Amino acid sequence: MIIIFERTGGFAGITQRAVIDTASLSPEERQALEALLEQAGFFDLPPRLAREGEGVDRFQYLVTIEHGDRKHTVVLSEEAMPESLQPLMRRLSLLARRFRSP
Amino acid sequence: MSRHPISCILPPYMLDQIAQNGTPEQRQKAEVTATLTAQFRASRLEMAARPSAVPRAPGVAMRQRAVYTANFGSSLPGQLVRAEGAPPSGDAAVDEAYDGSGATYDLYWDVYQRNSIDGSGMRLDSTVHYQQGYDNAFWNGQQMVYGDGDEDLPPAQRLFNRFTISIDVIGHELTHGVTQFTGNLIYSNQPGALNESFSDVFGTLVKQRALGQSVDQADWLIGAGLFTANVQGVALRSMKEPGTAYNDPVLGKDPQPGHMSGYVNTTSDNGGVHINSGIPNHAFYLTAMEIGGFAWEKAGRIWYVTLRDRIRSTTNFQQAADLTYTVAGELFGVNSLEQMAVKHGWAGVGITVGSSSDGDTPQGCLQSVLKVFGIR
Ligand SMILES: [Zn+2]
Repeated sequence: MIIIFERTGGFAGITQRAVIDTASLSPEERQALEALLEQAGFFDLPPRLAREGEGVDRFQYLVTIEHGDRKHTVVLSEEAMPESLQPLMRRLSLLARRFRSP
Repeated sequence: MSRHPISCILPPYMLDQIAQNGTPEQRQKAEVTATLTAQFRASRLEMAARPSAVPRAPGVAMRQRAVYTANFGSSLPGQLVRAEGAPPSGDAAVDEAYDGSGATYDLYWDVYQRNSIDGSGMRLDSTVHYQQGYDNAFWNGQQMVYGDGDEDLPPAQRLFNRFTISIDVIGHELTHGVTQFTGNLIYSNQPGALNESFSDVFGTLVKQRALGQSVDQADWLIGAGLFTANVQGVALRSMKEPGTAYNDPVLGKDPQPGHMSGYVNTTSDNGGVHINSGIPNHAFYLTAMEIGGFAWEKAGRIWYVTLRDRIRSTTNFQQAADLTYTVAGELFGVNSLEQMAVKHGWAGVGITVGSSSDGDTPQGCLQSVLKVFGIR
């Protein structure tokens, strides 16, 4: 499974971009990530979960996941993000620290 | 009642001038316009306002704070931990949010005679312990919200401390509220970067005043103390030297330009609002350094009056430069040391005051109104 992750915005204004190949994760990490994806229902999310003009200093996410012959891209703004997605975004953000794209 | 095609907001004193000195017809039109302007301002405030139990008493200092905890969840405002006047809670995040919002209130009230975010004593609500592993702070249109950084990781892996740890972060978020009730800059591209910059400017002024620092003693950093020792960096942003706050193998390099030549065209982050804010940030720094003394007294006053009275939702860098220059002339005199410092400050980031040519300047605004009144 390949995950292309981008997080922009936030008070810090630090952009995170990463390509995560789950083949390079430990089996435990991979399992934990798959469980979070399942819990979030990632492949059933609408392609755009965004709301304009609410709040400042919030994160915006752009996530693409390729898994077998499935591929799904989601644009997310934090204001419109269901709480159930937060653990997945936190996990991906931490993985993005390790697999940061130059 | 006829409506006039005026899309700009006139300073009330201009309408007063016309109402007092114009022909009877001009006076009548000025009164109508003043009413429309007042209605427009009121509707802007209504849009920005929140239901609040606090009685409004403009002109009387009314420092009302409330700090809540989200208990690492997402519900806002959460559970009340410390109300105004209550003793320290012993929870560092709660007490920092309480003290920092107090110091911010005091800057606006003691120095600029502004009674809270809305100018009418609005209660300052803060929520701490928001979500788990939340590396952020924000203003949601009604209140401040702070995460605890990387509290969900073992200490050796943490990059971020709790976001209340820097008092300028608190001043920054509260100032987003002030901007919402005044200039109401849209949150994208140059107006958005100005929105960010005003928050950094008053954020650092809250810190400088709390520490009693003059311009040469201040660090001019935003978010000093937010990074743990695991990060190669001193802060999130530097108003003194944008682009130098951090350079870290995991987080990358501080992307801020400090000059128009480095302006970043991007669609990310609402058009780079946290990136290009480095340009007006540095203009403020240069202005304050040239004036000297305590930055909140003169440079801060120029920026505050500009934000309160002149900035509009679509104001860009050039217009902001022109407006601060005009305001400096009004406050301290044409060609005063202060006005020259503003000119030099913007020149230092590649913006020449008075070179705007798009007709969307205050002069353009005035001329369009004079035309309506048949004066020109
Ligand atoms: Zn901000």
